[in-house]
This record gives sequence, C-alpha cells and structure tokens, in this order.
Amino acid sequence: MPETVGVEYTKVAEIKGPLMVIDGITKASFDELVEIETVDGERRLGKVLEVGFGKAIVQVFEGTTGLSITGTKAKFLGKTMEMPVSQELLGRVFDGLGRPNDNLPDPIADKFLDVNGEPMNPERREYPTSFIQTGVSVIDGMLTLVRGQKLPIFSGSGMPHNILAAQIARQAAVVGTKEDFAVVFAAIGVQYSEAQYFKRSLEESGALRRSVLFLNLADDPAIERIITPRVALTVAEYLAFDLGMHVLAILTDMTNYAEALREISAAREEVPGRKGYPGYLYTDLANNYERAGRIKGKNGSVTQVPILSMPADDITHPIPDLTGYITEGQIVLGRDLFRKGIYPPVDVLMSLSRLMKDGVGEGKTRSDHMEVGNQMYDCYSRAQEVRALSEIVGRAGLTGVDLKYLDAGDMFEQHFLKQAPDENRALDETLGRAWDVLSSLPEGELTKIKEKHVRQHYKGK
Amino acid sequence: MSSNSAMERTINKVLSQKEAELISKMDAAYQESLNNLTASRGKLEAERTRIIESAKKQAENLKRQIVGSGRLAVRNQELLIIENAVNNAFEEARKKLTASGNKESYRTLMSSIIEGSVSSVGSGQVVIECNKNDYDLVKKIVADLQKKNPNVQAVVSDQPIDVLGGIRVKSADGTMTYDNTLDSRIERLKPLIRKNIAQMLRGET
Repeated sequence: MPETVGVEYTKVAEIKGPLMVIDGITKASFDELVEIETVDGERRLGKVLEVGFGKAIVQVFEGTTGLSITGTKAKFLGKTMEMPVSQELLGRVFDGLGRPNDNLPDPIADKFLDVNGEPMNPERREYPTSFIQTGVSVIDGMLTLVRGQKLPIFSGSGMPHNILAAQIARQAAVVGTKEDFAVVFAAIGVQYSEAQYFKRSLEESGALRRSVLFLNLADDPAIERIITPRVALTVAEYLAFDLGMHVLAILTDMTNYAEALREISAAREEVPGRKGYPGYLYTDLANNYERAGRIKGKNGSVTQVPILSMPADDITHPIPDLTGYITEGQIVLGRDLFRKGIYPPVDVLMSLSRLMKDGVGEGKTRSDHMEVGNQMYDCYSRAQEVRALSEIVGRAGLTGVDLKYLDAGDMFEQHFLKQAPDENRALDETLGRAWDVLSSLPEGELTKIKEKHVRQHYKGK
Repeated sequence: MSSNSAMERTINKVLSQKEAELISKMDAAYQESLNNLTASRGKLEAERTRIIESAKKQAENLKRQIVGSGRLAVRNQELLIIENAVNNAFEEARKKLTASGNKESYRTLMSSIIEGSVSSVGSGQVVIECNKNDYDLVKKIVADLQKKNPNVQAVVSDQPIDVLGGIRVKSADGTMTYDNTLDSRIERLKPLIRKNIAQMLRGET
C-alpha cells in the first residue's frame, strides 16, 4: 500500500442523485475507492467516476441520502474496490457490497482481488463441454447446462424465478467426478422475504456449506447493485481458477442491476439510449456475463445463470435483448404455463441451450440424450399446433395421430415439465420420464431418434 | 312313484350341475385371487422398494444436512475464536506501541511519517497534529525538515490529539487532511496483518 493513500477532503461542491462532486482534489484516479464520512460519523463507500480540473465525481454506493455539503468528508483510499477472498468464504453470507451479513467477522483473506476482475484471455479459453446436473428435468433433459456456460433465465414479474434459482442452487452438482463444486449466489434488489428464503433454503438443504451468498435487498440503495454482481463474480473466479472448483454463479435479478445503471447514467446526464438505459448497457452487461468460462490448464470453471425479469414480459426489452446477444442461449419462463399452475413454467419452445450439443451424449450423459431432447421439442411443438387446431375444429376433427400428440402435450407438461420445488431428479429419471412421454406416440413418429435407442427405451409396444 | 324318482333324478342332475358350476366358479375365483395375490405381491414389493429407496434418499439428505450444518457451525465458532485472538493480539500490539515512544526506531519512523505526510498534502502551509507525548519530538523533526528544505511551511498544533502515535496533517484551510497516525496505519494494514496472525494461531507458519 503506498504511503500517500488516505488523503481526506472536505470540500464537497455538489451532491446530485447518487453522485458527489468533490473540489480541490490534487490526487485521485479513475475507479479509486472513496470512503465517505457523514457528519454523524457514518461511513459509506464510493468510487471515482471522473476526475479532472481539480474535481472528482464520486458515485456513492450506499446512496447520498443524509449527506450534506458541509461536514461530509471523503477519503481517497488509493485503490480500487477489492474483495478479500479465501476458502473461508464458503458458507458465508454477505451484503451487496461484500461485507459480512451473518454476524461473523470479516473473512481472513488469502488475497484481495479487484472486483472488476481481469479479462479472460480469449486464446486461453477452453470450450465448455461438461454437464452440470440441476435436478430440474426440463433443464437437464432439454436445455442442458454445461460447465463454463452462461445461460440466463428470462422471467416476468411475479413468476417463480427465485424459487427456481434457489432450487438450482440447492441441487446443482457435477455428477460422476469427485471435483469440488460451489455455488455463488448474488441476490440483486430482492425483497427481504426472498433473501430469507434463499438463505433458509440453502441452510436447510445443507448446501450453504458449499455456497457463498451476496444479498442486496430491495430497500438497499440502488447504486449498491452495481457492485453486487462484481463482488460475486470475483469470488466465483477465485474459487474456480485459484482453488480449482466448479462454480455455479446465480445472479438474480439483473433487471435491478440495469435499473441502477440507468439511475447513475441519468444523474451523470449522459445521452440516454433505448428506454433511457445508457448506450454502454451492452458493454456493461458483457463485462459481467463474460466472466464465465473455463481456462486452459486450470481445473475449475465459472458457469453463470443470470436471471432477469422482463418488464411487461417483453422479450424485446433492451435488457433481455442485449443479454441474449451475449449469452449462450436462454431459459424463458412462460406466463401461460405459470397460470396453469405448472412449476417450473419453462416455455421450452422459446428456450435454448446453445452449448447442450457439446455437453451431452455418450461418455458425458447418455447416448440417447440429445436425440430425446430434440424429439421432445418436436413433440411439444406439434402438440401446441394441434391444440391450436383443436380450438378451431374441435377434438372430433382431429386425426388419431393428432389426438396422440394432444395427449403427449398434456403428458409433457404434467409428467415431464411439472416438478416440485424440492424434487431433485437424477438424469436417468428425467430421461425415463421423457421416454414415457415419447412412448405415448406411435413408434413411427419418433423420427429424430436412432432405431437402436427406440428399441432400447420405447415403452409403447 | 315313477314321477317322484324322475323328479329326484332331475333335482340331482340340477344339483350336480350347479355343484360343478359352483366348484368351477370357486376354482376360477380361487385362481383369480391367487393371480391377484401374485400381482399384488409384485406391486407391494415395488412399493416397498420405492418407500425404502425414498426413505434412504431422505435419510441421506438429512445426514448431509446435519453433517453440513454441524461442520459449518464448528467452522463459524473457529472463526469467532480466531477473531477474538486476533483482536487480543492487536490490543497487545497497541499497548506495546504506546510504550515505545522513547525508542530510537520510533523517532526514525516519525521522521519518515512527517516527511511523507507533509508532501502528500501538497504545497502551501500545513498544520501538524500529534499526541501530547510526541509534541517535542514532532517539533524537533519539523524544525530539522525545514532546515533541510526551506519550502516546507509546517506548523505544529499545540492542541494534542488522542492517538497512539504518528501525526495528522491538515492543509491551512482545513479542506485536506492526511491521517498518518499509528491508529489509522494499523487500521489500514489490519486486513493484511490479520492473515499472518491467523496463520500463526492455526500453526501454519
């Protein structure tokens, strides 16, 4: 630490939204961490956004409510925001800025890492090809998650994305190997009850021991949300690439993160982009999402499941739209399925895991996995078409095969898709259920599956 | 007489027919019951296996949960104990620092602290604050510094501050402060030192 860090300034020129302008600055750097002390002695953290002409613009993470121009002190700490990391973080609960939230002391750090992370050398990236079992049939069977992948969940207001997130966090496992697995869970702008649910859910399932939780609550200052995914991903990178663990990072809800970005952008009077979000929203989201992957020569991996709620269920909204460009597929939750009481209400026809083909099959999961997944898509898609047709012509107007598809569609939803939030299905059970659905169709309809697999698994004879 | 025997024969015939029918029905029922029993046995066996498997799974989950929570509780207790010991070590260090005011090494340290702090606040007149015990030492070091570099415009405040040692430098207009007291230096370095103390406590060094 340099000798000259820690100069404190008291000349606050302006406070505007989450920003504070400090005058008379002689030494400050972009992104430098600033400790702000209020008149009452309360300490808050911020970072330098802009510096020049003897002024520094500081973004205050905990908000500027209660700060006044007189009496407020700003100490420039001479470093960027860092997160203390060590294996001891596993089993700990932190707030959105990475401070302990579990009545335990600060973690004893092996090292301090810049929360902005270091960009992954594209040449050193390894293509993700290994399966992660989530215990959720629709994901494992048709939208397989692969180690190192970034696969977002697009949800809507009031839908059970947080229940699904907690279920994935509890159940996710790397099967068939003895390699360590960890979950880093970042809750961004969630309600208190949801935060408690996440915590309790991991505690009760015994999964907290291999998890690190970051909880930024809805009533915490919005600006704090800018930091939460960064500290979480910093920890995920450390666990993966320093300790060689396979890490699943779940970030929920990224919409709240984007809202915080918009707030800062508005306060800085930047030219707004689509729906008022800053023009650099894509770059900023990519900075977070691209912190997933595998590195050649290292054992660990960071797999990301960012969750975002689409305002008004609009998939063309800038947040899901830009997210979709960066990530490797998406899992979309459907309002119609949710209304029908189906959990998890995954709309498979809108969803896709782009890396599934490389993570399943002989030697990885099961030789019929990919074909079964494709056939299930085909089956459900045809069932949806038949449903639409039957609404016009009635059941009496359908052919025998159409009727089979109609039943297979119902069976798909009730037997394969529907699952209890605490039900952990092994892959064999998932594929078994998929075969139950496919076996309700005439054998001749299974055109996407090799004959040997049909002979082995088809139950409809 | 003959009509009676004919009737008897008919009755016997009906009786034997009915008997055969009943026996056949009973046999069929018996057979059906046997089949049902066999089928039920299979179903029961499957149900029994399912219940046992499910209970085993639940027991395994419960075991994992109990062991996991137990290990976590032990680890958390260890963290609290270590933190307590680390705080005690810092407390002890503070006491030793308070008593080290007359040592030569402390004078050397103060000299470098003052030089560094004055330059970090920048040009112009600065006010230096220190504790009561260090007042004379600081005055002497500042005087020596001004002899060496006449551009240094520093005044030592006669209002003592309640710190272990070191100094606090303020610009003349009070808008800039550089806290280079031992207290703040300890706080700055605490996260790094904690690791070393914890390693010693765990016998890792």
